[in-house]
Amino acid sequence: MKQLFAVIGMNVRSIPQRAGMSIATITSVAFMVAVLLGFLAMANGFEKTINGSGSDDVAVFLRGGSQAEVNSVLAREDARLIEVAPGIATDESGDPIMSAELYVIVDGTKRSSQTEANLPLRGVQQQAVNLRQNFALTGGRMFEPGTAELVVGEGVIREFEGFDLGQTIRLGSNTWTIVGTFSTGGSVFDSEVWADLGVVQNLYQRGSSVQSLRARLTSPDAIEDVRAYVEGEDRLNLDVTSEREYFADSAGGIATLLKFVGWPLSIVMAIGAFAGAWNTMYSSVDSRTREIATLRTIGFSGFTAFMGTLIESLVLALLGGALAILVIYILFNGNSASTLGGGFTQIVFSFEVTLGSVISGLVLALSVGFLGGIIPGIRAARVPLLAVHQN
Amino acid sequence: MNEATLIRKGLFRKVLRAILMMVSISIAFFIFGVLGAVNKAFNAGVDVAAANRLVIVNAINFTVSMPYAYFGRVQGVDGITHVTHANWFGGYYQQPANFVQTFAVEPETYLDVYPELILPPEQREAWINTRTCLIVGQALATQYGWSLGDRIPLNSNIWQQADGSSDWDFDICGIFTAEDSSVPTNYAMFHYEYFNESLAFARDTIGWMILTTEDVSLNDQVADEIDAMFANSPAETETTTEAAFSQAFVEQLGNINLILTSVIGAAFATILMIVGTTLVLAINERTKEIAVLKTLGFQSGRIFRMILTESFLLSLIGGAIGLGLATALVMAAAEGFQAFLPGFRMPLSVVWQAFALMIAFALVTGFFPAFNAMRIRIVEAFGKL
Amino acid sequence: MTDQQPLYQLRDLSKTYTRGKESISIFKGLDMDIQHGDFIAIMGPSGSGKTTLLNQLGGIDSPSSGQVVFEGKRIDNLSQGALAKWRSRNVGFIFQFYNLMPTLSAAQNVELPLLLTGLSGGERKKRVKTALEIVGIADRAGHKPRQLSGGQQQRVAIARAIVADPKILLADEPTGDLDRTTADEILGMLQQLNTELGKTIVMVTHDPSAAKYAKRELYLDKGEFVERGNRS
Ligand SMILES: Nc1ncnc2c1ncn2[C@@H]1O[C@H](COP(=O)(O)OP(=O)(O)OP(=O)(O)O)[C@@H](O)[C@H]1O
Ligand SMILES: [Mg+2]
Repeated sequence: MKQLFAVIGMNVRSIPQRAGMSIATITSVAFMVAVLLGFLAMANGFEKTINGSGSDDVAVFLRGGSQAEVNSVLAREDARLIEVAPGIATDESGDPIMSAELYVIVDGTKRSSQTEANLPLRGVQQQAVNLRQNFALTGGRMFEPGTAELVVGEGVIREFEGFDLGQTIRLGSNTWTIVGTFSTGGSVFDSEVWADLGVVQNLYQRGSSVQSLRARLTSPDAIEDVRAYVEGEDRLNLDVTSEREYFADSAGGIATLLKFVGWPLSIVMAIGAFAGAWNTMYSSVDSRTREIATLRTIGFSGFTAFMGTLIESLVLALLGGALAILVIYILFNGNSASTLGGGFTQIVFSFEVTLGSVISGLVLALSVGFLGGIIPGIRAARVPLLAVHQN
Repeated sequence: MNEATLIRKGLFRKVLRAILMMVSISIAFFIFGVLGAVNKAFNAGVDVAAANRLVIVNAINFTVSMPYAYFGRVQGVDGITHVTHANWFGGYYQQPANFVQTFAVEPETYLDVYPELILPPEQREAWINTRTCLIVGQALATQYGWSLGDRIPLNSNIWQQADGSSDWDFDICGIFTAEDSSVPTNYAMFHYEYFNESLAFARDTIGWMILTTEDVSLNDQVADEIDAMFANSPAETETTTEAAFSQAFVEQLGNINLILTSVIGAAFATILMIVGTTLVLAINERTKEIAVLKTLGFQSGRIFRMILTESFLLSLIGGAIGLGLATALVMAAAEGFQAFLPGFRMPLSVVWQAFALMIAFALVTGFFPAFNAMRIRIVEAFGKL
Repeated sequence: MTDQQPLYQLRDLSKTYTRGKESISIFKGLDMDIQHGDFIAIMGPSGSGKTTLLNQLGGIDSPSSGQVVFEGKRIDNLSQGALAKWRSRNVGFIFQFYNLMPTLSAAQNVELPLLLTGLSGGERKKRVKTALEIVGIADRAGHKPRQLSGGQQQRVAIARAIVADPKILLADEPTGDLDRTTADEILGMLQQLNTELGKTIVMVTHDPSAAKYAKRELYLDKGEFVERGNRS
């Protein structure tokens, strides 16, 4: 054991003598881990935004077969029929907690690229704020019904220009005043702009039609009662889903795609880093052939030479992995980005470096270190004793 | 034996080391090739855009429609050769997962505006004269196994017919191809009239218009005139070039270009470190051998050239293997990606870029070792026993 | 006519090394002629400048002052490139540690200097074969240096030195790394090259019995030559 530590110590202390090669290995592992963590941080951040969006006790009503809000059209009468459905919760004054909603896709200018991108301008009714968990005004006030006033989600302010509190903004041929900002705790709704439903219908020629209805359920199980009611009512051709299901269906694909791209990419890069690590360890053994042979002649075992080399390799890989985690965490964690989501509008999300992805990164780094060190290690164990005479 | 033998022996002085370096290099070029092809496919819309083609959309957003009457008014604008219009149908085949990109268009003018789409004359005839005709792009036809004469239903998840149904019946009377494989053919088109007449709501609206100008220099003038014509109406327009429109659409997905460039950059930074340091080390090991060559009378310039050739060989062999693997992967995946990443193939431009990179890489990694080798002083090298 | 003219004429040759502020003079004002067909052994204590002198003769180092004249032409003021060309035509080197290319076979090592000539592949092969036969190691042509003993490696090195038919052979302690018997074989071979093929040879050695093989023995000490023996 003592000889093992002595040899490992000699190996590790000799790293600076091959500074160039060692740094090359560390950086190659670091780049590989950084690519993996970057993609996982995007995927996890996006997933977190989507998962935080839907609740089990909110039902979403859409036109039958329309799949997404953007495709759906509902008539005013639909709302009246649903109001009386069983299982819909009411507030203190006995009114059902529901909101008929309609969003128009409008152009916003992305800060990062200065190009126009789709933003949902959602017309909502008063109860809308009670239908989103964690809704809170973070600045200004709520819009006055009947006026061209907007409240803007925090994500929109981060990613888009011209939506700051107090500003006016032209969306199509209409001018709006921004009177408030809100947060829903990082959910999809933070990527939206809200206004009064009637005003949106009016200014964008939507008559009295809406796209969706959201209603609070008395309990998550009540959705079955609502569904039975809708199916039994001939005048309604609607699909009913819980809000959680709705989001899970509509946007899970992107996170999966990011992971499916991130993993193969970093594994391919791992092959390159592995070749680099192997090469470095091979040079390490090469340059210390005489030293190893001398130790073996004195009586150190081949196994210690093997372990010394393997651990040197693992140390280099670990340094690279740790470097990548540090850099990605400092540079990316919490960074904002946006992409086109299921509703054909931008979803703003934050990069999220999770413990799970950090562990994945370290495992990948150590695998590269292990595989890269093993064959040079065997070579070290087999250095012929006669190499003591080598010059 | 000749100089090539010397170069080869130098490069493979330690075979394993040379192979490991080539593996690293091939990995970087593999990543470059695949991601380059992906990036190119994403930007295909920008690349195939005609310079004199303009897109007119509703100023609110391109998903918001415009009155049909706008079509007639745009036709009267000076400097236009052709104008056509289209509506997004949001179709699917049999079940919602079988998404079929479908547009309701004005049949004759659409083909005028997109001359790169090829339809045999008799099919073109049938397309213009058959109300229920659906013309299908080659890629799409292959995907669903459709052929000429098939009668198929398509559903819309947006539109409803007056009778409440949402499936339209079509006769496939044309299959169009494109003159260049980078032009996507993963969509289908049918008559706007057939679409409009059966609609339950939102009749007489059009999604967007596309026009060609007489000359690129007229683009701005035509765009300004059109946008001014509809200013201060409930449906103002925004007219941009096709390229700008496509670019903005790709940007919506996120900064794909930045992401891909970062990954490629990371891959190249990695091999630059690995191969750069290894080569310096490898040449250092050979100091004495190089001094012997010089003693024998080999000129410094020749030594420089020989060492640089080694790094060129390394880079070109590794790079060519990586690029070859990338091409194989892209070719294998192209079929499966046809639906959502049309025109996914290994573009020639990426191949040239890769070769330029290989040369640059060889110069960067080979220059210092070659320069060091050239400057080796015989007397000092022998002192260094 | 060229026989009248010495092969080398060293005139007022000086070599000084400057290390920082102090400068060490190795030799100063050295004059010497080397005739065609001579075989000179240079001896002297370690550090006396024997290798340094050989480097001047071989054109791989330049003097601090003075002239090195080869066949009537100065070589001390030639450019690096011109010197390289001159070496490839006129000089064969033999080193104490052989300095063979480890990646090349014996035959390929011998062929190396011929790459600097315009000879065809076939002609090169013939010459390599002859050279290997002269040094008596033709049967090992395909072996790599590491598969050969020290004496065998030195034979290959000698073959490499003579293959391009140079006018002068310069050997720095060619037997310094070899045992007595092997050393005698190598020295006998050099002597043979001198007497039978007329090669001019300058050999540095520490070993008085090795020096006996030469025609002249020069002793270098404190920058001066002392003639010790002349058998010619
Ligand atoms: N590059 C250099 N810079 C400074 N001093 C040098 C340099 N090369 C050689 N010397 C010095 O020049 C002197 C002569 O060296 P040289 O190698 O010619 O000696 P030598 O006679 O061949 O000795 P040996 O018998 O040990 O081979 C020595 O004192 C040496 O330290
Ligand atoms: Mg010496």
